[in-house]
Amino acid sequence: MFKSKTLTRALVMGSQYASLILFALFTTFPLLWALSFGLSTDGSTAYFFPQGFIPHIADGEGNYNIGATFSWFERVFVEIPFSTYFKNSMIMSTASVLGTVLISVLAAYPLSRMRFFGRNFIFIAIIATMMLPSEASLVPNYITVTTLGRWANSLQAMLGSDAETWRRFVGINSYFAAIAPSLAGAFGIFLMKQAFEAVPQDLIDAARVDGATEMQILWRIMLPVTTPSIAALSIFTLVNAWNDFLWPSIIMRSKEMQPLAVGVFNDLTGPLSGSQNTLMAAIVLTVIPVLIFFSFTQRYFISGMDGAVK
Amino acid sequence: MASITLKNIKKNYTKDVCVIKGVDLEIKDGEFVVFVGPSGCGKSTLMRMIAGLEDITAGELYIGDTLSNDLHASKRGIAMVFQSYALYPHMSVYDNMAFALKLAGTPKPEIDQRVKKAADILQMSHLLERKPKALSGGQRQRVAIGRAIVRNPKVFLLDEPLSNLDASLRLNMRVELSKLHQELKTTMLYVTHDQVEAMTLADRIVVFNAGIIQQVGSPLEMYENPSNLFVASFLGSPKMNLFEAQLVGVEQNAAVVRLPKGITARAAVNPGSAKVGDKVTLGIRPEHIQLVDESVAGAIPAKVDLVEHLGDTVLAYVEIPGVNEIICMKLPANMTGLKFGDTVRIVFPEQHSMLFDAEGLAFKRHR
Repeated sequence: MFKSKTLTRALVMGSQYASLILFALFTTFPLLWALSFGLSTDGSTAYFFPQGFIPHIADGEGNYNIGATFSWFERVFVEIPFSTYFKNSMIMSTASVLGTVLISVLAAYPLSRMRFFGRNFIFIAIIATMMLPSEASLVPNYITVTTLGRWANSLQAMLGSDAETWRRFVGINSYFAAIAPSLAGAFGIFLMKQAFEAVPQDLIDAARVDGATEMQILWRIMLPVTTPSIAALSIFTLVNAWNDFLWPSIIMRSKEMQPLAVGVFNDLTGPLSGSQNTLMAAIVLTVIPVLIFFSFTQRYFISGMDGAVK
Repeated sequence: MASITLKNIKKNYTKDVCVIKGVDLEIKDGEFVVFVGPSGCGKSTLMRMIAGLEDITAGELYIGDTLSNDLHASKRGIAMVFQSYALYPHMSVYDNMAFALKLAGTPKPEIDQRVKKAADILQMSHLLERKPKALSGGQRQRVAIGRAIVRNPKVFLLDEPLSNLDASLRLNMRVELSKLHQELKTTMLYVTHDQVEAMTLADRIVVFNAGIIQQVGSPLEMYENPSNLFVASFLGSPKMNLFEAQLVGVEQNAAVVRLPKGITARAAVNPGSAKVGDKVTLGIRPEHIQLVDESVAGAIPAKVDLVEHLGDTVLAYVEIPGVNEIICMKLPANMTGLKFGDTVRIVFPEQHSMLFDAEGLAFKRHR
């Protein structure tokens, strides 16, 4: 009796772990393969299984043994302006995360906690934008950005300057143009609205009685207790901004302004590109910052509401 | 400290939904007033209106001499303790208590002194560095009370503050609240649906039902002389026994009523304008029904349905043949011999019997 119970439990546990490990492998295998490819001397073993998942280096006699080399990773920095792309990605992603969180929070709070005419209509209108494919906004956004650039130019000219410098801040080839269209996203507003609605009304009332203004309630009470949602929104936004390819590739025409996703694609793929190993090494390098960000933010995913109310 | 005056206060959520239907009340400075009533009767809404958390549709609210209808919650000089504690989960106990003072721009040394003093009063100085999640229910409730105390409010508003505590802790906290009121001598307004809390804590009780004040008075006065059926049945545990009856005799200081099956009972009330034949309700509290010998004149035969031994008392539920209502009797603890199916004789003492007219209003008792 005892033995069969232990055996059953072991089997259940074993199958649970096995399925989790399989799932983890399923989701990470492209990255693991890219890592192995990038660490190998060349692509000779990359298309074999399971050798493709284990880095190999070639000895002088044309044999391949298990081992790793960082030479392709070094080549990435030599062959393409990786640091420039990386800097652009960092600036655009950071601004995207900060801007999206700020706008989502400020839009979601009144939608969730204040009563005003047209509140539901506004929310439904915001949610309705989620139904549109992002490609549908490419042309309007492009026209908007070019127009903004023209206006900046005209304004500068009106103020008596010949230099066309202001266009660079808001028009084509500007960070603003690359990130602005995605800042006020319906998803972030929806996520934060749900998070704010989960905060007990008593907590807000207590702050109100304590003398807090609406802004103080938002910054000093609501934000700290909704950190898990803010962390989730930050991760989503960062991953989206970091991996965004289509819009930046349209808007960032000069190489110095391109982010990693665009730069790596343009420089390392296609018939005239270098080796596939460099591409794989660059892909791994591209992914690392997101993983680091996730490892820092994941501790905020724990509930922020413990102990607030019974 | 301040008095509170409510003049014809009304609250409508929509045009048709009226939850507070014209409340007039005066709460004296330093008084401990308890709002009591069933769930949904509007007592918490009224408290929230006094706190400034709900708009007042009509009427006037004065806190002290100030018309406070449109005053922001933080400017009313009130502090509120919530049923759910409503502690800020990301702040330590100290910061929870200091939050209001920090917002008000109080100098740091004074904040420190006031928080520590409140912590001393509530015996929780050792908890100041903890976060709410590391506290028990009772400790959290203390912090919520401490957060109110540090502000030196003119009025304390307590919205069912003990409802989430277990029975023994609730008793302790009840005693502590009573002591706190004696110590601070601040006006306190307390909302509860627990009539034991109302009876034990209040200087005056305000009984609510359906957005209307049913009666205001001291606990004993309300218990002894309820103004209507609602108050009579709401206050007292177990509830007052009520019987539908007919008035069959009117005397100068008593009324004679007939229950079903020809059982008659007398109540020492002033019948006023009541006439023989009127429908009335006879009310008698469980502790006033007496068990008597067969030989006693007018004794009513009854059968025991259930006996509950509570240690200090015995609750016996008996049934009079032909009368639908089960009657609850509170008997001394030594009545341990009673058991299911026993036949007993009971009487309703005239001086303890209450009478209510067809509208549910009480006849004035004659004592």
